[in-house]
Amino acid sequence: MKKQNVIPVEYTLLRRKRVKGDKIAKDVVYYVCGIILSLLFLFPLVYMLATSTKSESAYVADAGSLAMFLPDFANLGTMFNNYGKVFTDYGIWRYALNSFLYAAIVIVLNVLINGLAGYVMAKLRFPGKKLLSFMIIFLIVVPVETSIIPLYSIVKTMLGLKGVMSVAGVVLPAAISIFNIFLFIQFFEGIPKEYEEAARIDGASTMGIFFKIILPLSKPIIATVAVFCFIGVWNDYLWPTMILPYPGEGEWPLYPIQSALNTIQSIRGITTGEVMASLVVTSIPIFVIYVAAQKYIVQGFGSAGLKM
Amino acid sequence: MNKFFKAVAAVALGTVMMCGFAACGGGEGVGGTDAEGNKIVKIMVHVDESTAEGKAYKKRVDAFNAAYKEQKIKASITFKARTTGVGGYESVITNKFAEGTLDDIIAFDAPNCAAYADKHILYDISEIDPAETQSKFYSTSLNTYDGKLYGLPIQESSAGIYYNKSILNAAGVDVSSYTVDNPWTFEQFEAVCKKLKDAGKTPLDLQLYNARDEMAPYLLYPFIYAAGGEFTSADGLTATGYMNSDKTKSGFEFLKGLVEKGYTSNAAGPVGATDFFDGKVAMYLSSGWTIPDLDNKYPAVFGNHDRNTWGLLPYPMKEQKASATGSWSFGITNNGVKDKSAAKELLLWMTSPESSKVITDATGMIPARTDVETNYAAGSPEDVLMQQLSKTGKARPATVAYPNFSSNFCSVIYSFATQQTAATCNLTDVLNSRTNELQAEMNKHSKH
Amino acid sequence: MVTTTLIILAVFAAAFVAFAVWDVVRAKKKREKYRVGSTVTAYLMLLPAILLAFLFILLPILYSLGYAFTDFFILTPNDINFVGFDNFATAFKEIGDKGMLYHAIINTLIFVVGVVPLQIGLALGLAVFVNRKKRGVKIFKVCFFAPVVISLSVTSFLWLEILSPASTGLLNSFLGMFGIPPHDWLRDPNTAMLCIIILSAWQGCGYQMLIFLSGLTNIRNELYEAASLDGAGAWSKFVHVTLPGLRSTLVFVIITVFIGACRVMVQPMIMVGYQEHVVTLSYYMYQQGYEFRWVGYSSAIALLMTLVIGTITLIQRRILREK
Repeated sequence: MKKQNVIPVEYTLLRRKRVKGDKIAKDVVYYVCGIILSLLFLFPLVYMLATSTKSESAYVADAGSLAMFLPDFANLGTMFNNYGKVFTDYGIWRYALNSFLYAAIVIVLNVLINGLAGYVMAKLRFPGKKLLSFMIIFLIVVPVETSIIPLYSIVKTMLGLKGVMSVAGVVLPAAISIFNIFLFIQFFEGIPKEYEEAARIDGASTMGIFFKIILPLSKPIIATVAVFCFIGVWNDYLWPTMILPYPGEGEWPLYPIQSALNTIQSIRGITTGEVMASLVVTSIPIFVIYVAAQKYIVQGFGSAGLKM
Repeated sequence: MNKFFKAVAAVALGTVMMCGFAACGGGEGVGGTDAEGNKIVKIMVHVDESTAEGKAYKKRVDAFNAAYKEQKIKASITFKARTTGVGGYESVITNKFAEGTLDDIIAFDAPNCAAYADKHILYDISEIDPAETQSKFYSTSLNTYDGKLYGLPIQESSAGIYYNKSILNAAGVDVSSYTVDNPWTFEQFEAVCKKLKDAGKTPLDLQLYNARDEMAPYLLYPFIYAAGGEFTSADGLTATGYMNSDKTKSGFEFLKGLVEKGYTSNAAGPVGATDFFDGKVAMYLSSGWTIPDLDNKYPAVFGNHDRNTWGLLPYPMKEQKASATGSWSFGITNNGVKDKSAAKELLLWMTSPESSKVITDATGMIPARTDVETNYAAGSPEDVLMQQLSKTGKARPATVAYPNFSSNFCSVIYSFATQQTAATCNLTDVLNSRTNELQAEMNKHSKH
Repeated sequence: MVTTTLIILAVFAAAFVAFAVWDVVRAKKKREKYRVGSTVTAYLMLLPAILLAFLFILLPILYSLGYAFTDFFILTPNDINFVGFDNFATAFKEIGDKGMLYHAIINTLIFVVGVVPLQIGLALGLAVFVNRKKRGVKIFKVCFFAPVVISLSVTSFLWLEILSPASTGLLNSFLGMFGIPPHDWLRDPNTAMLCIIILSAWQGCGYQMLIFLSGLTNIRNELYEAASLDGAGAWSKFVHVTLPGLRSTLVFVIITVFIGACRVMVQPMIMVGYQEHVVTLSYYMYQQGYEFRWVGYSSAIALLMTLVIGTITLIQRRILREK
């Protein structure tokens, strides 16, 4: 009477095997697709790394074969020659140093200036606040490229920043970011009032509260802002090239590393391998940052999504 | 919080360090004196320090410093290779001028004289020693604008058609009758190309792939003049009716025809750019600077100083004879420094007969001074260039919108530089749109 | 210039004071008070931000607006005249004459129409692909994201070598293995823009992939299970569960990628130069304003560009929100 509900054991086993086989096949397909896609995305980078180890003759010899993507294992001893040349002869370390310095200055200024502004907007009551919040929302949508030429005129003609002072023209505009103010506002709004109220009862001033209480609590947002500042300054190509002066005889070149790629590219007789080496050197710090600070970058993306 | 202040301290230290570096380098101002009380004169040249030309400039600047040590004048030289694209040489000049830090003396390409003089970048040197100095230069080479003198040429130049003697002999081509006084015509030129092609050789490399910097306009503009064409009105403010006139078009059509018929090499950028030097191409349009290259750099094909392996032919003619002229000049700038005496000394030094000799020996160009010794054997390549310079040289159009003319000329060449693009190129349309663009730029200038 | 700035500053300061006074008046009505001390502190703490934002964000916009109606030429900064709509007239004439501006508009259109679907499609597809709890998925994520790490200028220089016309360039030597002759990819008007579109999508899609991924995690699994029970296949699930779930993220991504694409400038600048077949609007604007020094004309173009992009963005938001 209940015979129809009994499923033979063999049938069940067979079915499980088939399902498992299907699953393995699907997995294989998945991984193969993944590998092909990954190769498609990675090949230019692998090519860049591989070519950076080759001399011009090795580069020409390897062209047209799979060896294009392999470093120059044949000449292990000279593999890093290009890097040596790029560092010493072409002096890429000077430009890297410049970039690090500019980034450090911008990060400190950015955190301070935008953090202060964010704190004021998030926590303080004062007349005129509504107008300011309106301006913030308005300015956040401003496109940068359309302002780049009047900005040049303002920095050079009105503020008269030339020579070494041109660095101020690079650093100061990067120190203000309405988006970062927005990030700070969001974060500070999440800090409970109790912290400040307790400090005020103890007689702390507003500035004191900011530096002694708020900042230490804000490590995550400061990290995110710092990381994005660094990436922004390090990758900035056009503006520093426009603003910074061309170095004269014996003068320290003020260009950051991306702008220097122009100079390096146009050196007479530079080989493809050396060009690639300079590109790799330019990219390494960013790569390190992305790996070390993944958490903060993903956080930053999340906030970006909230923007709209 | 401690960490934070440590960070601030680090940044402050870094800023001080950097200011130190920058200040250490002698500063970026102009018209100053250095620690020993020498007046600093700054000069900027358009080549890389490592090139032969760059070394020649450095040699002369060092000699100047030695000679003027007692008078306490010191020259400082900056090298900026003339690249195209972002941060190019001309861009650096206008940037520095805009912020008031332009070097006391700059090297500038002769066709840019009008633009620089008009924008008051260059300083009027009309009263500089006319008898002794100005009379010694080819009068057409002096950089004048609106009746005033703004620069003295470093060197002069000419260009021509280099040819590989063994390839031409193998194809049975005889070019011995073509001289500067009796140059070949467009038809004869094409006939030579055809004969070479029929013999299975690549006839010609016109460097069409260089149509992205001044090289292309420089080498190719004489063809247009030779065809009877013009580019601008005499005042340099009208292009419509000149650059798109029928005769100008016929000049470009001639060049396009050479490409379409497959006479030009298929060089594309660095590929094939050295084919003539590798003995794969019969003829090569280039300037005097190729002479030292052929003498020294390609022993496998052209031996060592062996003029039996190659020769130089003048530009072909149609309605008139025309050849390329114009090279770089030095000029004093209006950079805000009041006392120009030191700059004038350096200018005269760098364009003196000695400097002229040193520099032209390094570049392979022709001295612009008539009082520089040149022992060119009659009929030699150098002699051909000199004759062209004095007999058939015609300068590029003098207009304040020259940079725009140059890029538009390049665009026209670009539209038919390869066989694929030449096949689909509508030269009338291209010329009209390029002329309109140039005219629009000229209109902006005339409003000023 | 300084006087104009001071006038603008005075106007804004006046507006501020007016608003502040209004706030105080309103507060008085509600029987509240603003403390002078904390107000002063607040403004002092805001001062650096306000100063920098005024100088470097607000002022350039206003000046750009102003310059658009003048003939400002940087090398003669004192000879500046008001010319009304002349700059705009010149711009439209150039479009009509099929000059560089015309080509800039066409190329920018081509780029936007090419890059936006390509980059977003790739990002979405890759996000769905790696949105699984399998081992090794993290490695794929890293691989797809790797190009984002390379800055735009490094990407341009790198691909300049890859697309090199020499037979030793990567693409040419790869095709050479199949007997295809070397080709000048960047100089050929038919292939240049296509190459730039592809490499730009390559460089950017990893970034959007991460944004999509965070959006995907917000879609509840029950929705997928319910769809499975209804007998939906993978594609159907994608269309009916994933896409609607990603709605707001999609809107955000489409608008930001679109705006970014309109501003393309670095790639053609580094890889080719100021040529008809690759010049884009931003590049044209930069070239006119910075290289040729016609700031007035360039500002007029900037104004037009902002108006057009702004309008399209607003229309996009309307359409995408209503769906």
